[in-house]
Amino acid sequence: MQAFLAILRYDFGQLTRSWISRIWVPLLIAPAFALVFVANNESELASETMAFYIWAVMAPVSALAVAILAAGAISGESTIISDSILSRSVTRTEYVAAKIISRVAFTLAVYLAIVIPFAYLVIRYATTDTSVGGVIIGLLMVAVMLIFLATFGIAMSVAMTSVLPAVLVVLLAVVLSGAVLQFLGLTWMSTTAVIDQLPATFRGDTEAWEQMRVLLVFTGLSLAALSSAVLLFRRKDL
Amino acid sequence: MYVVQTTDLTKIYENSYIALNALNLRVDKGMVFGLVGPNGAGKSTTFRILLGLQRPTAGAVSVFGEGMSPERADIRRRIGYLPTNPSFPKHMTPITYLEFVGSILGMDASRAKVQLARLLQAVDMAGAASQRIHGFSTGMMTRLGIAAALMGDPELLILDEPTSGLDPAGRKQTIELIRELSGRDRTIIIATHILSDVERVCSDVGIISQGRIIYSGPMAEMRRLARQGSISIEIEGNTSAFEQQIHTLDEIGSVRYERVGSEFRITFLGTEPLSEYVQRVINLVDRTGVEMLYITTGADEIEEAFLRRLEDDRTRGFLRAAAWAAVQDFSDDPITELPGADLKELEQPDAGLPRHPAV
Repeated sequence: MQAFLAILRYDFGQLTRSWISRIWVPLLIAPAFALVFVANNESELASETMAFYIWAVMAPVSALAVAILAAGAISGESTIISDSILSRSVTRTEYVAAKIISRVAFTLAVYLAIVIPFAYLVIRYATTDTSVGGVIIGLLMVAVMLIFLATFGIAMSVAMTSVLPAVLVVLLAVVLSGAVLQFLGLTWMSTTAVIDQLPATFRGDTEAWEQMRVLLVFTGLSLAALSSAVLLFRRKDL
Repeated sequence: MYVVQTTDLTKIYENSYIALNALNLRVDKGMVFGLVGPNGAGKSTTFRILLGLQRPTAGAVSVFGEGMSPERADIRRRIGYLPTNPSFPKHMTPITYLEFVGSILGMDASRAKVQLARLLQAVDMAGAASQRIHGFSTGMMTRLGIAAALMGDPELLILDEPTSGLDPAGRKQTIELIRELSGRDRTIIIATHILSDVERVCSDVGIISQGRIIYSGPMAEMRRLARQGSISIEIEGNTSAFEQQIHTLDEIGSVRYERVGSEFRITFLGTEPLSEYVQRVINLVDRTGVEMLYITTGADEIEEAFLRRLEDDRTRGFLRAAAWAAVQDFSDDPITELPGADLKELEQPDAGLPRHPAV
């Protein structure tokens, strides 16, 4: 447990110092303020404003940032993992669990720190057409998708030894997933479909089972990615 | 119970490269064991398996009497490890990195600080303690690696090339540090190319070649073997007469010599005591009437012995293969023998080589 906490602290320190975080957070904050200002002046609908922000700013910027942070979680340290960390009294499970928790928690922390104040300001200053439950479910759906992206990135980080190929695989998977899911008749699972449905979700107009379906599928996929990452890392030669 | 024991340890990378070939290694408590071998012999792979960083393809490894695996952090807590050319998080300083190692080891902050200050002083890094690791030279990285290996006051210290990249002063200091660390129930395993380092600090030595231990024994025995049969002599006078008579010093084929000017280096391949050979050389000097300027035994002895073991192993490897092939080809013919090779002897993995009682 000591080792787990030490690695967790170490990784959080790394994340807060990383240049990705330093770019990611301002890139999310500046457009959020601009949109609140516009929504207030133009009396835009809160549901449309929030959905537009998720579609135009949060999703693309966060996808890139989370892909890089997650895909670099372990492959980014490939040269020092064995020499400096795992040759000490650390188990593989402790190491990979600390990495997963820190990266997922950091992603969630940044996301929530931005969207909660943003949702509050939009609902307050734009034309309110949202329901509280709809907003919570809508933001939760986006959070679950981001968590899946983070866990998939960590799994790629375990599978590959370099950061760049791992990031490229994650981004390619995101870009191509829409086409593949459409081909498989699972369009509702694609990020585009979920984001397109967000205005209705924020208004509380989507069916509960559709919302649950998205939450369960992405949670399941995240758990599968995490299990693969842990199993693969425990078997890996370093 | 051995501190380290491997049984037929084998590591094959992706079915394409045999790194360890049924390696048997036993290291007793309190030993300073030198693992010597050429590049690619399998030293670092052995260490990585001992630490649970890699899994063996076959065979068994036990440390402190327990099987090692990647999840055995409890065993690793008792081990300090210095890798070859160590690398550390570049944004950290020696102080923050050693604090991090201390927290992994479960040390409380104040105890970790006392320990890291003591260790940074010991490896002469106190002046660079607050500098970022990013700009460190290879020697500084090695010193920091030694300090990190010692943070938990380990019972077993595994040092892979501890003097690589160090300047002569740093090397001397590290050797002194290893000497100080030895004893007090601590076991140390050192892999190195620098044979003089092994000679200076190790109580026991193992020679590894192509993934196998080809010799393992006390350092004193290695020295004795090295001296055995090698005599250098410089003479004046009728050197030709002396040279013509050299072959009479022992049985035909068991004496070899090299001549550089008036200096002869005579190697005896027999098993008689060195003093006996020295006496014969002195008798030959008397017989041929030459004047002896000096006589000495075993120059560069450890290096010579090391190279001789490697050469022996290569030769025996070919003979073993040939013997094995002969058995396969003529297994129906019980009287077939391979010329020049005693089949029974060659069936033994390290036939004819001196063996450590523990191996």
